[in-house]
Amino acid sequence: MTFLSQFASETTAANQDLFQALGIDWRLLILQIIAFLVLVALLGKFVYPWLMKSVDERQSNIEAAAKATAAAQKAAEENNEAVAALLAEARKEASAIISTAKLEATEMVSASEKKAQKISERIVADAHEQIDKDISNARKVLYNDTLELVALATEKVIAKKLDKKADSELIESVVKAAK
Amino acid sequence: MPGRISRRIIANYIANGLVEGKNKKELVQQLAGFLIDTRRTKELDLIVRDVEFKLAEHGVIQATIVSAFDLTTETTKALEAFIKDKTKASKVSLTNTIDPTVIGGVKIQLPGREIDQTVARQLTVLKTRFKKA
Repeated sequence: MTFLSQFASETTAANQDLFQALGIDWRLLILQIIAFLVLVALLGKFVYPWLMKSVDERQSNIEAAAKATAAAQKAAEENNEAVAALLAEARKEASAIISTAKLEATEMVSASEKKAQKISERIVADAHEQIDKDISNARKVLYNDTLELVALATEKVIAKKLDKKADSELIESVVKAAK
Repeated sequence: MPGRISRRIIANYIANGLVEGKNKKELVQQLAGFLIDTRRTKELDLIVRDVEFKLAEHGVIQATIVSAFDLTTETTKALEAFIKDKTKASKVSLTNTIDPTVIGGVKIQLPGREIDQTVARQLTVLKTRFKKA
């Protein structure tokens, strides 16, 4: 103890000498330390909890936002996948529709061609029939005209050639034939 | 007022008179007077036709011959014989009419029938029979 007291007294004495050499008032220093501790205590009691609470809240908000962002990203990815799936399905359906449309168009074209062919064949047949009729009618007309012409020519020739004598002979022959 | 005398009775009267040998001129005058008096002159042709029919019933044929030329005596005789043969008539009276449109041949008009053997008729037959519809 003596040693300690002596050491303390020597230390104090030495400290006093040091503080003094450094220009520090140890009483003021103690007061400042106490004030600092009081300040720390006050800050720890009133300010730090509020500050920490705010920080925690902000952190939790940030984490929530991050989570929401992640969720949104996930949802977006899922949406992208769904959209991709939908697009793929739509492409598939579109392809099927296009194929069906092409097939139907081909069938329609084929049907139209067949119909057009039938119509053209019918038109040709009608035309042939009409031509045959026209030819037949023309032949009839020609025949009848020839007949008329022959009759007219015969009439003219007979009228010129027939005289009274020939007519008498004709009448007698007619009478004989009629008997 | 007496009733209207039918055409048949008039024709009978005239035909019987002709068959019996009454005066033709007198019969004709009677008929003409009657028709004028009764205003039936429009019926003359029909009465003449009826008279011809009645005469045909009595064996007297009044025939009209239509030809393009005058008939020769031989032809006329041949026609008379032909008509007698066809109608079994005892007497045939011919009237020749010239019609150049018949061209040739002869058309015999008898009461109730007609025999057309003209060239014009033959040509018409040729044109109509062989004509295509």
